[in-house]
Formats: sequence, C-alpha cells, structure tokens
Amino acid sequence: MNRVIGAILVCGGAWLARAGDTPASLDHEAPARTFASRQSTLAGALSARIAAAQAGAVIEIGAGVYHEHLRIDKPLTLIGRPGAIIDGAGSGDIVEIAAEGVTFRGFTVRNTGIDLEQENAAIRVLAGRATIEDNVLEDVLFGIDLRSAPDCVVRGNRIGGKALDIARRGDGLRLWRSDRGVIENNVLHDGRDAILWYSSGIKVRGNRSDDCRYGLHLMFSDDVVIEDNTLSGNSVGIYLMYSAGVEITRNRLVRNRGPSGYGIGLKEADRFSVRENLITGNRVGVYLDGSPFTTKQPGVFTRNIFAFNDIGVTFLPSARGNEFTDNNFIDNIDQVAVSGRGALTGNRFWKGERGNFWSDYTGYDRDADGIGDFVHESRTLFESMTERNPEMRLFLFSPAQQAIEFVGRAVPAVRPEAKFEDEVPRMRPVEIGFAKAESGVRSMTLAATAFGLLAIGGGVLRAARKDGGP
Amino acid sequence: MIAAAIHSGIQVTSGAERVPPGLARNVMTISGRELRDAVRARWFVLYTLAFAGLGLAISLVSATATGGSGLASFGRTTAGMINLVLLVVPLMALTAGAGAIASDRERGMLQYLLAQPVSRLEVLLGKYLGLAGALLSCICLGLGACAGVLAWKGMGTDPAAVLWLAGLSFGLALAMLSCGVLISTLAGRASVAVGTAVFAWLTLVFVSDLGLMAGAMALRMRIEQLFALSVMNPLQVFKMWSLHAADASLDVLGPAGLYATEEYGKWLHALFAGCLLAWIVVPLAAAAVTLSRRSPI
Repeated sequence: MNRVIGAILVCGGAWLARAGDTPASLDHEAPARTFASRQSTLAGALSARIAAAQAGAVIEIGAGVYHEHLRIDKPLTLIGRPGAIIDGAGSGDIVEIAAEGVTFRGFTVRNTGIDLEQENAAIRVLAGRATIEDNVLEDVLFGIDLRSAPDCVVRGNRIGGKALDIARRGDGLRLWRSDRGVIENNVLHDGRDAILWYSSGIKVRGNRSDDCRYGLHLMFSDDVVIEDNTLSGNSVGIYLMYSAGVEITRNRLVRNRGPSGYGIGLKEADRFSVRENLITGNRVGVYLDGSPFTTKQPGVFTRNIFAFNDIGVTFLPSARGNEFTDNNFIDNIDQVAVSGRGALTGNRFWKGERGNFWSDYTGYDRDADGIGDFVHESRTLFESMTERNPEMRLFLFSPAQQAIEFVGRAVPAVRPEAKFEDEVPRMRPVEIGFAKAESGVRSMTLAATAFGLLAIGGGVLRAARKDGGP
Repeated sequence: MIAAAIHSGIQVTSGAERVPPGLARNVMTISGRELRDAVRARWFVLYTLAFAGLGLAISLVSATATGGSGLASFGRTTAGMINLVLLVVPLMALTAGAGAIASDRERGMLQYLLAQPVSRLEVLLGKYLGLAGALLSCICLGLGACAGVLAWKGMGTDPAAVLWLAGLSFGLALAMLSCGVLISTLAGRASVAVGTAVFAWLTLVFVSDLGLMAGAMALRMRIEQLFALSVMNPLQVFKMWSLHAADASLDVLGPAGLYATEEYGKWLHALFAGCLLAWIVVPLAAAAVTLSRRSPI
C-alpha cells in the first residue's frame, strides 16, 4: 500500500521534474521522502550533472538514494553530503573513474552485482591521481579496484563485502599496476582479499581488516611500507610474494587462522624488515618460504611480539639468511618450527649482545645483566616428531606428550638435535609500548568465576558435613 | 555405619502404612551418606590438595612466564590445566569408583545393605551420586583456586573457558566414575578393584595415546581413522572438547583437528557430548546389570 502511494508520488515528482532535468524512472526504494526532499534523487540525475559539469568543477550531491551506474570521464570533485547513497541495484559496477585527478568523497555506495567474472566493483579506477576518500561501501562484490591507476589515494573508506561464502566473494581492495598509491585508514570486513599486485612504492597505513581471506596480499610489489595496520580474523594477515624492499612495522596480526592461517607469510621476498609487530593467536605467526630470496641482505625481525600462536615462526628448509633480535617469544605452542626436517642453519637468533626473550628458557642469570647465563637451545622430542608428522599434533596437551618429552630429555640416544641456539637469551621481555592489552574487565569476571566455583565446591562440602549424624 | 543410617532413613520414609519408599528418596539417602563419608575420607582430602596445589603452581608459573604483558589467548595456562585434569581427575574418579562396591562387599556391608528394603539399583545409583558430588566439590575447589590466582595476577584468561573446563572436567569425572564402579562390581576384592582401576587409568592416559601414535606412524593411518580412534578415548574427547570450547576451532591440533572442524563443524559439540555420555551411561548400566546378577557376598 505504502509502496503504491510512494510510486504515485514519485511519478508525480518525476513529471514535475521533467521540465528542468533528465528523464527519470521510478524509485522504489525511498519513495515519499525522495519527493519531499529534492528532485536530484531521481535516476540519471548524477550522470546528468557530471555530463553538464566543466572539467575541474566541484559537484556536491545532497542526501538521497541514487540508482545509478556512474562513469566519471573528466577531472571532477564529487562530494557526497551525509545521506548521499548510490545504489547499484544488484547489477554491474557502480562508479567508474576514467579520467585523471578525480576526487570522490563522502558517498555510500552499495549493492553491486555478484558476477565474479565481470568483477563487479563499487568503485573502479582506470586513471591515475584519483582520491577516494571517506566513502562507505556496503554489500559490494569488489570494493575499490585500481587498474593501472598510479598516484591514487584511498583513505578512510569502509568496505563491507557480501554475505557469500568466501569463494564467491570479491576483493575489498585491489591495486593492479598502480604505483605510488597511499592506502590509509580504511576498514575492510567480510571481503575476500586486499590485493596489491605489480604496484610499487605503495604506503599502506592504519588500515583494518577483519574476517577476510588475505588481509593484504602483495605480489611483485616493491618498496612497500606497511605500517600500523590491524589484521585480525583473516585466513592470512599479510602475504608477501616475489616482492623486494618491504617494511612491515607496528602492525597487529591477531587470530589469523585456518588451514593456511599465517600472521605474516613471506615467499621469495627480498630486502624486508619486520619490526615491532604484535603477532598473536595465529596458527603460524610468521611463515618463511625462500625468504630472503637472495641472501645479500638479511631478513630483519626485531622487537616483535610472538605470543600464543600455535607456531611462532615456521621455516621451510629454503628459508635462510634471517636475523631475529630483541623479539619476545611468549607461550607459542611451538616457538620455532622447521617444516619437514632439518636444522635452522643459515638463520640467526642472536647477534652480538642482542638475543630474544623466550618464555620457555630454563636458565638463570647469576650476574644479573639481563642476559641468561646459558645458551637457549630448543630441542624437544615431541616438537621434532610433529614437524615430521604434523598429524601427531592431535596428541598435544596430553600426558602422552609429556611422557615423550620426558623420554627425550632423559635418554640421550633419542634426543633430537637442537633446532637453533640463542647465545644471549633475554631474561625479561622487551618492552614494546603499544602492545599492552586491556584485561581489567576480564580479571573481574575471572575473579567472579573463581568465587563461583569455590562456592559450589565449598557448598557441596558444607552440605555433606551438615548432613552428618554419627 | 552406612547401613545403620540407611536403616534409620528408610524407617522414617516407609512409616506405618508400609508404603514402599520411592526410588529417588532411597537414592538420595544413600548418596547423602556416601558423600558424607567420601569428603571425610583421606583420599578425598589428598586428591583435592594435590589437584589444587598443582593447579596453583601451574597458574603462578604461567603468570610469571608471560612477564605480566597482559596479553592472553589460548596459552600455556589453559594447556597446563587440561594436562593436569587429564592426569588427576581420571585417577581420582576411577579409584573412588573402584572402592565403592568392592570394599562393601568385602566387609559384608553390601549384604547388610541389601537386606534393607532398597533395591540394588538404588544402592548403585546412590553411591554413584554421592561420589559424583565429592568429585564435583574437588574439581570446583581446585579450578576455583586456580582461577582466583589468575585473576589476582591479572592474566587475561577467558572466564568462559574456565567454566567450560570445570564442566567438562566434571563430565570426564562422571565417565571415569562409571568405569570405576563397573570395575568395582566385577572385582572380587577391594584391592583387586583398585589395582585394576589404576591399570585402567594408565591405559587411558598413556598406553592408548602412545599406542595410537606409534600405530598411526607405523601404519600410515589416515587422518579420519586417527580422529575416529582418538574419539573413542574419553580423555581425548575431554581434551578436544575443552580446546573446541575455548577456541571454537581445533586447528591447533594440526591436520586431524582441521579435519574434525571441517567435517563436523558445529556438530562437534554434539559428537563430543555423545561420546562422553556413552562413557557415562554404558559402564554404569553394565555395572547395574552385574550387580543385579552377582551374589552380594
């Protein structure tokens, strides 16, 4: 009923508007309001304004739902006022930027098609120097897709994928042959990947990615800076392939799990440094495959926190030439693992006076210089078993595991070789400022839980004693 | 003592009309006595102290090892707790259950008890529930103390995970108690029963896992076979279930865990519950049958 009235109203509006504006069709989405607010909400209105504008013009768009597919083919600045929504009605791409120097800011863009072969995108950029800022992208297959678009800025956008299973989703963000871009303060969720391929000199700062597949996937992209991003609940946090000169600094990589499940994966990467990252709760914190690719410059891992991962760092036998100093390895089930068998020759876990903190270090520090008096070496029989037969991890945390480790310590004949050595292990963790967690609230509930459990236990005891006769 | 108490309890209930006392009432009377005796027994005090003491040690060590970073996820603490429960709770429940019937039989108490107007099923259920109460108390006290220490040290352990752990420990204790009671009804003498219980504990805790490990490596067992075999062990079920409850994913257990998560997904809870329930019900039913067929002497 409402819809009918709305349609009639809009028809009326369209008829009234026809004199001064482009031909219009019905708007079923927000009927009565569109009529009341302004005529520009009619379909085709934005395209018309773009067509009418001079190059370099600033176009401000008011609130309303615009059912349109835009093509911006001259350098314009489009600014959406709050409530300006462009709706693709579930088909095709929505905004295509085909001219250099376009700014597109403040819109809500929603409802692309779901055709993976056509790669239906909310915003497709085909020219350089575009600025895509402060937009909200909802229910989109691909979010922002830069193709051969150098020097672009993608900042402050919020990109939400479609509720499809992962194989049918598209990439929230994609850069393809688009050098020197700035990707800043975006939020991506429920998409597939964020991809940077064949794009060099990119800055990726302050972004957030939750529940996607690849938080950041780099391939053949050199000299990239990845700073202050939070990548959590993805299948892989950052995956770096065939790229050189990448700096990964102060990122939070949290709970990236699943069959691949890496915080940071490095495959045949070169000249990389990984500093001050918080890498926690992942299946594998850092996965190293053939990196550094040429061993001219060591792979630098310093001042990171590897905590509570199933495996802190996994090395494939091909990974050599990495240096780990001043990292905290805290309670990873396996601190460092070698996939397949073999020792970690060619990788160093200390340099000069700088070692790492190992929560499983068993030595002491009699001269109180903050450095353990004995070499830290990792050799447990169960770990070396699981590295050869991963399915044996099923027996983790069972007393049988303890029994095997005891045998490994007690019987030298079956004692595995040390995987690696840290000659100057730290006694205390390195203080890394930003990594403090907020656990105050939890402590209170935990205390309440403790009290509850004690009350149950004590209550049963009391009841039993009171019940007593002789 | 028990029999005398039962006697008095039943006199009260049966009364002048000689109405046969209800099953629930008799069971409650017997279980009340059993619980009272259990918590006064030396084994209960020792087990509770050992469980709580070891748990506190684990909590303190892991609190210092983390260096007070306040970060927490599934860490060594929870792993240590699971390990501790796997060692202590089955031993406690199996030996407690093993002592339940056999020692009474040996001392002639069972005969006396059954001379009262109570059925054998009532005696069995009563004893079972009484011991279950004692085990519940022990588990809650131990884990409660640990949780208290963790809270005091400001560790970010998830309270829900602690509650799950407590509940699942109790489930494991019930399963092991059933097995203990079955051993007790089958065994001729109390010493034999306790010896068998310890042997059963050793088998479940070490021998089966080590055997499965060796078998899996030697026979190149497939993942699904390995998982199916390990689910038959109630201790493994407890372990996997507590991991699953704490983390919603079993991928920490490597390929077999991934297989389980992918294959069963949200049905994992049901699968584990079914396995544990079977371990509670089947041995207890077998014990009831054995007890009803055997002479009480």
